[in-house]
Amino acid sequence: MVEGAWLWLTLFAIGSTTILTRGSFVLGGEGARLPPALQRALRYAPAAALSALIMPDLLLDAGAFDPANPKLVAGIVVALAAVRSRNPWLPFFAGMGVLLVLRKGLGW
Amino acid sequence: MPVRRLRWYPRTLFPFQVKASPMNESFKRGAREGLQLMLPMSVGLLPWAIVTGVAMRSTGLSAVESLGMNLIVYAGTAQLGTLPLIAAGAPLWLIFVTALVLNLRFVIFSAALAPAFHGQSWSKRLLSGYLLVDGLFVLCADRLLRSDDPHWRWGFYVAPALLCWSMWQLGGLVGVLGAGVFPKDWSLEFMTTIALMVMLVPMVKQRAMLVAALVGGLGAVLLRGVPLRLGVIAGIALGIAAGFIAERWSEKRRQAW
Repeated sequence: MVEGAWLWLTLFAIGSTTILTRGSFVLGGEGARLPPALQRALRYAPAAALSALIMPDLLLDAGAFDPANPKLVAGIVVALAAVRSRNPWLPFFAGMGVLLVLRKGLGW
Repeated sequence: MPVRRLRWYPRTLFPFQVKASPMNESFKRGAREGLQLMLPMSVGLLPWAIVTGVAMRSTGLSAVESLGMNLIVYAGTAQLGTLPLIAAGAPLWLIFVTALVLNLRFVIFSAALAPAFHGQSWSKRLLSGYLLVDGLFVLCADRLLRSDDPHWRWGFYVAPALLCWSMWQLGGLVGVLGAGVFPKDWSLEFMTTIALMVMLVPMVKQRAMLVAALVGGLGAVLLRGVPLRLGVIAGIALGIAAGFIAERWSEKRRQAW
């Protein structure tokens, strides 16, 4: 866990990326243009990054590859809920519900 | 003689108000239209903000630190995405680069919107940059770029932008204060992963985007042993490249038919 003054420094570092990216062209002047190839490649950045954060949490257990774990089951339920329903709360209730039943109810 | 209304707030606190004049009218008109357009979507921000608030608290941030993060960062994806790294005590540069990648889409928005802020002061541009969230771009960009009245444009941008900001801070406060209600051993940190998944699912309905996500995710899992924790970044880079290649490839196939 990052803590104390170092955590605040970290928060400002994360915040600086907000200004750097959102402010880039708005602050830098409208003359500049993004190369089209780069612009197309950048469209894939959020999906790749989100997945690179999600999959390790679902597939690893204490740093080791272990697909048979309660978080993966809960994750599949979350994906189904997000695809099937437009209710923004459902994936959270379904995912947390399944994880809690498996971990605390069944002791997995 | 026109009556000058008294100002009940100091100018330094709210520097955007102008005296009663045609440009003030067009600012107000822009603000009203912008708020009408944004109201439904801004309410939709509330669940997100609440979940992010709970996620920050269950990662181990104090209430003050969580609210500070909401104010300083003001970007849900970057906040949720960096929480697992903060929890793991990852090095600062890795947290910075991950946040940067998660925010990269805003470079595209910023480039597209830049002409709408032509001639605005630097401080207004800085504020505009800080406030530029996804929903604002999706709803407002088109009309913003078609208007040639700078005062209307400023109203049409800054009013809904501040509405989104208020909703985000309000929902965050509810989540941060409400998080204490849940017992510690309820695995609430999994809310972060759920929130990231809910963002990812609508993106991957497109084939090339799905390829980018699969390669990025599996890359990060397989490369987890790489020193300096470069695995996450390498996975993301592989995912972007894979998505780009998949798009090119499907285009070529379409042309060949």
